[in-house]
Amino acid sequence: MTSTEITYAWAINHAMDEEMARDPRVVLFGQDVGRMGGVFGVTRNLFEKHGPERVRDVSIVEHFVVGGAVGAALGGLRPIAEVQFADFLLVAGDESFHKLPKWRYMHGGAFTIPVVIRAPSGIQGGVGAEHSQSPEGHYWHTPGLKIAVPSTPADAKGLLKSAIRDDDPVIFFETRRLYRVKGLVSDDPELLVPFGQASVRREGSDLTVVAWAGMVPEVLAAAEMLAAEGLSIEVIDPRTLVPFDWETVAASVRKTSRLLIVHEAPLTMGPGAEIASRAADELFAELDAPVRRLAGPDVPIPQNMALEQFCFPQVPEIVAAARELIRW
Amino acid sequence: MSDQDRADLLALYRQMARGRALEDRVNALTNSREFRGFFHPGRGQEGIQAGVCSVLRKDDYLLYAHRGLTYLTAKGMDPVRILGDFLGRVGGSTGGLGAGTVHCVDVENGIMGQGGTLGSSFTLSAGLGLASQVLKQDRIATAFFGDGASARGTFLEAGVTIAAWKLPVLWICENNGWAVSARLTDVQGTDDIAPRAAALGFYTEVVDGQDVRAVQAAARRASEKARAGQPAFIEAKTSRVEGHYTGDVQPYRDKDDVAQAKERDPLLLAQTQLIELGASDADVSSIWDEAVAEMAAAEDRARLSPEPTGDRIFEGLWA
Repeated sequence: MTSTEITYAWAINHAMDEEMARDPRVVLFGQDVGRMGGVFGVTRNLFEKHGPERVRDVSIVEHFVVGGAVGAALGGLRPIAEVQFADFLLVAGDESFHKLPKWRYMHGGAFTIPVVIRAPSGIQGGVGAEHSQSPEGHYWHTPGLKIAVPSTPADAKGLLKSAIRDDDPVIFFETRRLYRVKGLVSDDPELLVPFGQASVRREGSDLTVVAWAGMVPEVLAAAEMLAAEGLSIEVIDPRTLVPFDWETVAASVRKTSRLLIVHEAPLTMGPGAEIASRAADELFAELDAPVRRLAGPDVPIPQNMALEQFCFPQVPEIVAAARELIRW
Repeated sequence: MSDQDRADLLALYRQMARGRALEDRVNALTNSREFRGFFHPGRGQEGIQAGVCSVLRKDDYLLYAHRGLTYLTAKGMDPVRILGDFLGRVGGSTGGLGAGTVHCVDVENGIMGQGGTLGSSFTLSAGLGLASQVLKQDRIATAFFGDGASARGTFLEAGVTIAAWKLPVLWICENNGWAVSARLTDVQGTDDIAPRAAALGFYTEVVDGQDVRAVQAAARRASEKARAGQPAFIEAKTSRVEGHYTGDVQPYRDKDDVAQAKERDPLLLAQTQLIELGASDADVSSIWDEAVAEMAAAEDRARLSPEPTGDRIFEGLWA
């Protein structure tokens, strides 16, 4: 099967298009997903191809977007619901933290909840404290949700297709900074990227760096710079946080004896804390240096684009932290 | 007045009696502390639940509320499963996870569960209605709630979407005038909820919730509208006889108000109507006796099921 070079946004579009063509139970709703094709163009053509019955605009109704998706799933559909910004998912707190992850369990497993919530996240450039967050940690702290955090066009497509076919609810975090990034993506409509399988983005022997979503390109750039110094970095992209491929991380740490976690979400109680804690717990004897986290600072993200650059780990910081750990 | 009228009302009375007899057992289990959770009695509101469920199809969806049990049994759910949930048995509908009415479920009879946060059924019912519409199933999605929950923002968010998409949804507000200890008029500035739904474009009915026949007639009209794609809303004016939960002695409430609520008992009202329609006292009392016996037997059977072991908590999180 052929591959085509397309953007991350277009890969997401193709995943939805193919799955809607495959399964008439797949529907899509959200703000501006219809005629406009999405504020970021991600849902372009879907309204025209799949019709107004299955591709629907809504008003500013996040409670409905998530709660309605749960109800639609209970009724036998496989909804894809889009919130324009992941931050807005917090508006629908009850629906995303309670109804979505708990309805099946609370009712003794009587239902499946095959819902995908598409949540564009991350610092994008001047959109401020309530449009720039990376809230995946909140959802990782909520049992019952699967979480995808793709960093490449191929993974965005393959993971979204897996998410749509999954009988459990998935929060699918799309990195808006990556929407225009291009990559080779298979045209095979049956090529899925399974959940719970990390990708080793770069092999190395001196330090393991775990990063996902928008931080992967930054970490790879840092690794390239460090290679020039003779330092060998292994970059692991978990691709999904739930389920989390701990085995791949652990195997890498056994090899490198050092672990750095890089994420965009704020440091305190961030996703890195869980990974670091588990490493301390299970890999203590393997480690030659402390487990370190590089993360967003514990502040709201300013709208000023010059200042927001201080709100997620930058390549020089990653390089410095890696050097320090390797020379520990 | 016909034999048919009498037979119809006897059927409604039977469902109200079953709901109340079941609730009596749950109250007894609560008072004896065998059931240690909270139960919210629906005494006085059985007419709404029995009346509405009498016009629903087996496959119509029901999202019930926290007050009372009549909608569950009237929609077809086996009381053994309900009592199994109260007793925390594996044979309960939640397989031993639930303890109480909150998450009773019966997919075969369209009973799609309940959430712990009131007002969450608005958005879920919208989604169920969407599924019925897209899958061309001709099912309607019903959601019961109280006047308190009608203040939730979800009412508006789901309501505007239901109206825009012409979803087959029927909402039933059991307006008993009290949200725990707060009088409706004190916290919402009105006694009436239906105008809110009318403003969204719902077909509305306002009905005396104590008169089960009036409820049934309103529900018939409203459910036909909903099935035809005209979202519908019933506000049933009713009274809460008991406190918010079993054991709440209602110190915040005037005694006369409670006394009046007891006088407007929907079962008593139906008894009077039945006698007027030519039913005998024996007909009426035998229905009650049968309901009591049915629920006693159901409790005995529910007890036969074991309690879950601790590893139950790890079952069923994922599909």
